[in-house]
Amino acid sequence: GKAAKPKPAFTDEAVQTLLYKMTGLDLQKVFRPVKKGLKPPSYKLMTEAQLEEATRKAIEEAKVKLIMPPVLNEREPIDDVLAEDQVLEGTETAKYVFTDLSNSIPHRERFIVVREPNGVLRKATWEERDRMIQIFFPKEGRKVIPPTLFKDENLGTVFQQDRHEDVLNMCVAQFEPDSPDYIRVHHRTYEDIEKHAKYDLLRSTRHFGGMVWYLVNRKKTDGLLIDMINRDLLEDATSLITLYHMLHPECQSAKEAKEGKLQGVDLIKVFAKTESQRGGYIQLALQAYEEAMATSSAS
Amino acid sequence: CTNRPFFRIVAANSKRARDGKYLEQLGCLDPLPNAHGEKVAGLNLERLRYWLGCGAQLSRPAEKLLGLAGFLPLHPMTVTGAERLRRRRQREQQPEAAPADGSAEPGTA
Repeated sequence: GKAAKPKPAFTDEAVQTLLYKMTGLDLQKVFRPVKKGLKPPSYKLMTEAQLEEATRKAIEEAKVKLIMPPVLNEREPIDDVLAEDQVLEGTETAKYVFTDLSNSIPHRERFIVVREPNGVLRKATWEERDRMIQIFFPKEGRKVIPPTLFKDENLGTVFQQDRHEDVLNMCVAQFEPDSPDYIRVHHRTYEDIEKHAKYDLLRSTRHFGGMVWYLVNRKKTDGLLIDMINRDLLEDATSLITLYHMLHPECQSAKEAKEGKLQGVDLIKVFAKTESQRGGYIQLALQAYEEAMATSSAS
Repeated sequence: CTNRPFFRIVAANSKRARDGKYLEQLGCLDPLPNAHGEKVAGLNLERLRYWLGCGAQLSRPAEKLLGLAGFLPLHPMTVTGAERLRRRRQREQQPEAAPADGSAEPGTA
């Protein structure tokens, strides 16, 4: 039989560390003012030590804000019949949805059953469950009926306005992480970003890790790599390639890297030669980077 | 609003008025179907079990509702009501069928 190592999952520590390093920590963008009521800014007079203390605390808070929302597989539709009573057929006109309102049960385990007009007592589908839970236990940022923004036609308009981050935040608030709508909206957003190479929009947000995971799983990492090299983020580029090798250990560049134990720029060169479709672009970008490094170190 | 019913499933002293002071609210039922064609009902089963354990008794509509929900077995009156309805509908259809046949036959014959 096969003794293959299980494929690394999104939640593995090594994967998470790599993704987190790539997300970057741009304090200016993380604490960019959320559109709230206008207040005049407050100024404080601090010594150097106090300023360092404040920056350290800000970094802690930023780390909390950058916790990535989970990436799960699509959930299986529920299809469970509890009872069939043919006697009741024809008495009712509408279905009855019964929700268990006990406070101490987690939402995943609640009993939500539907009695159809033909007498069948079945468990509610995931959409019915989400709606009922939102009616009886409202959560902030969620609506009972998902906003029309999440339909495919309207997503295009929002993408033209470069508001991918807002869409993803709303999606995280509205849907469960394993619902098909959540996954569809996220995939659409990542596709659009990859098509127009707008990687920087998500760079210091908590959605960056998810995007990188999606791209690496589908081997569409070339654009992102070029973007990173152009912005002189070589460590991020190397971590991206390490992640790629962790997820696809049978590819050519992974084997070469393991044999030669390559680091840094060599890793990128091997990757550009063997795996990527736009190898030429990557090598051009690398050359430009090296020239820039040479001129800056010479002067 | 007027003529817009909404029922609360409640644990109360049996001598109280229908809408009077109750001990605890255990759920609700909206008898009008919503935009998705459902009649929404919520039941706090944990507290229901507590009150039943304390020795509360259910009213007949409450028993019927819990029978429909599946918490209790189906109430026999629900079954009887369904059968009576079916018989009434059959009786209404037969007289329609008989005069309809009677008036159609002279036409065809």
